[in-house]
Amino acid sequence: MAKVQLSLGEKTFIIHGVQDGLRTDGRSCDAFRPMELECGVVSNTSGSSRLRLSNTEILVGVKAEMGKPRPTRPNEGYLEFFIDLSANASPEFEGRGGEELATEIANTLTLTYDLKNVLDYQALCVLPQQCCWVVYVDVVVLECGGNLFDAIGIAVKAALYNTRIPKVKVQVDSEGQEEIEVSDDPHDVVLLDTCNMPVLVTVSKIGQQHVVDATLEEEACCLACIVMAVNAKGALVGMEKKGSSSLTMDSIQDMITTGKKVGMNLNSNLSSVLQEIGRDASSSGFLS
Amino acid sequence: MATYIRPARKRKCSKTIQEPKRLVTPGDVITSDTDFMRGHGTYMEEDKLHASVAGVVETVNKLICVKPLKTRYNGEVGDVVIGRITEVGQKRWKVDTNSRLNSALMLSAVNLPGGELRRRSAEDELLMREYLAEGDLISAEVQSVFSDGALSIHTRSLKYGKLGQGVLVTVSPSLIKRRKTHFHNLTCGASIILGNNGYVWISPMAGAEEEEGGGFIQNLEPVLLSDREVMTRLKNCIVGLAEYRMMLYDTSILYTYEASLKYTLEELLKPELMEEVVEDTRRRLEQET
Amino acid sequence: MAGIELLSDQGFRVDGRRPHELRKIQCRMGVFRQADGSAYIEQGNTRALATVYGPHEASGGRVRAQHDRVTINCQYSMATFSTGERKKRPMGDRKSQEMSQNLQRTFEAAIMTQLYPRSQIDIYVQVLQADGGNYCACVNAATLAIIDAGIPMRDYVCACSAGFVSDTPLVDISYLEESLGGPDMIVALLPKSEQIALFQLNSRLHADHLSKVLDMATKGCKDIHTVLDGAVRDHVSEVTDSMARS
Repeated sequence: MAKVQLSLGEKTFIIHGVQDGLRTDGRSCDAFRPMELECGVVSNTSGSSRLRLSNTEILVGVKAEMGKPRPTRPNEGYLEFFIDLSANASPEFEGRGGEELATEIANTLTLTYDLKNVLDYQALCVLPQQCCWVVYVDVVVLECGGNLFDAIGIAVKAALYNTRIPKVKVQVDSEGQEEIEVSDDPHDVVLLDTCNMPVLVTVSKIGQQHVVDATLEEEACCLACIVMAVNAKGALVGMEKKGSSSLTMDSIQDMITTGKKVGMNLNSNLSSVLQEIGRDASSSGFLS
Repeated sequence: MATYIRPARKRKCSKTIQEPKRLVTPGDVITSDTDFMRGHGTYMEEDKLHASVAGVVETVNKLICVKPLKTRYNGEVGDVVIGRITEVGQKRWKVDTNSRLNSALMLSAVNLPGGELRRRSAEDELLMREYLAEGDLISAEVQSVFSDGALSIHTRSLKYGKLGQGVLVTVSPSLIKRRKTHFHNLTCGASIILGNNGYVWISPMAGAEEEEGGGFIQNLEPVLLSDREVMTRLKNCIVGLAEYRMMLYDTSILYTYEASLKYTLEELLKPELMEEVVEDTRRRLEQET
Repeated sequence: MAGIELLSDQGFRVDGRRPHELRKIQCRMGVFRQADGSAYIEQGNTRALATVYGPHEASGGRVRAQHDRVTINCQYSMATFSTGERKKRPMGDRKSQEMSQNLQRTFEAAIMTQLYPRSQIDIYVQVLQADGGNYCACVNAATLAIIDAGIPMRDYVCACSAGFVSDTPLVDISYLEESLGGPDMIVALLPKSEQIALFQLNSRLHADHLSKVLDMATKGCKDIHTVLDGAVRDHVSEVTDSMARS
């Protein structure tokens, strides 16, 4: 379910728990729930990943296709994000029910990945102004147990790590026409450098304290949160405040400190897991 | 440790389990004998009794039924349920009880503040949202079942009523073992209500003075940290039991709680440790029977 | 199309199967916790996921509720990365609307709808990887999810496709076999009673061959039924055992 309704008693219990530093599932305020990650789950994509964070389940498929560079950046390829909040996750996403939230998440991802140093976008360009790689990052939310932003952020980074883009040669034929030749050798590929890619960390304000990785119930008690994009060095590369309530400068400062710390931890944790999984992993996915 | 990502675990290859004797799946013929009564999960076609769900055939005298592993809650009169108010209507509340239709709680079926029995006035009707609003949780008893399968519930006993501070865990109704009582004050220091509808309510041990107001006066004082730890551990244990499909009743919950004590609360979130705790509990329960 | 022979002289198909052989089927029930029922299926490289919510109070109140039976609500979607060429949207196009309707009809024929008046059952299926027979995989996954949710059905619904190449009917055709033209038949069958819940045929097929192809599809459905039934029995045995030992 994407949203839960809570009684006053339940909310009070959660808020007081956060105050005491003991949340309803036993975590402290700055701890994530355990996650399980695998790569190479969908075989007809350039790269894919599946992440399970308690009841939140995310599937990401990356497809690299040839397209035209954007007029504003003729020498660069680009990433395109699409989020599908599947009705599988909750009946309220049926039809166009999830569109608003999906667009919101896609916009956040677009903003955080739209920095020059995140990825070598020029390497994705094949022929300036004419042809470049468009990397479609498609996210499907299969189940929703809270903290969608962070889970999607991690899954996207993992899928991009798993992505292999075929090498391309440009040849000029006798008439001066440029011809593009895409290598069909599965080992002759370009891998993406994920080192500088950020992950998303959502810090939610509950009562006077703040928590990371809020559950659905905690999200129901939270009036305002900050979604931060943090890279491996702990630098903030993007930030957005969400929610209906307002935050003071001081609490934003505190939340940023927590977010940076957790974000760095997430990044290093993720990169060591990705190394363990390896670049060309394939797995049995849902059968396992 | 703040974060914990790891490669997906391979599920344990389940050891081959002997198929239960009278296991049927939809469309299977149970019997062509016409001398039986048709129960839930079965249907008649061409004078043969067929199964319509997957499960084990149960025969009580001449009644044959098949109970599926999990379903929505099928209410029976006298069951203890926990429900969440979804709508306040005229003279009645609509309550989500995990059934296939919302249940009805009539204004005449609650004890109003003040305690004494009295007629429900027009004023009470206007004040209904003050008593119970959308989102509120109640414990109640199934009073009757309407012809379309919807339940009518009541809270006319001091043990039922609005619930205060605590945590709700939802599991499949078939995991709740039918017992004489579904209200337990566990020795580890918390109360639980195991609703027959699969909703489990964990709350701090009720003090004597709280029970008097019929639940309408809520105690919103912070719960002691020690009580909170117990409740949190209980919650994780119940979630774990349900995850590994163990029946829930006071003993199984208490044993799991005791088995879990060797781990910290945060460690219990790791699936492999929880699995170990549940397996320990299973062994202990099996030894005793 | 020249170059590819769908059926070799020795009687093998492109992926090495014989005309009557199904692709490998693997499935799992109860993949999600929040839904009432869920299932995942792989038929060769085609992968689909189904979740079932309900029966619950009909959404939209009395307008949509039917007083004498349950309302069945289906949605078919395909992950945007599931196909060879990326899809723009997961659903909403004509094809998926048609599929949603087909699903609804198929399952109205099988679910015992009269048992739950005024309620609603939601069946959501999603293709995660498309390699031919998408609809069939979805129907099979949905059947498993409905059984997982404990919703009474007259019988399993098993769906299978069949094609017709050089005078030979082919069962469970892959994307390649689908896309190279030729007739493409989809049958959804209640295997025990051999009733057909859905029947669809695209492109031309001579009437003389119809029964041959239909027989092949029907047999495919029954084979699928055997596999699914085995999976359900394993699942039920495992869970019953676990519940009995506590």
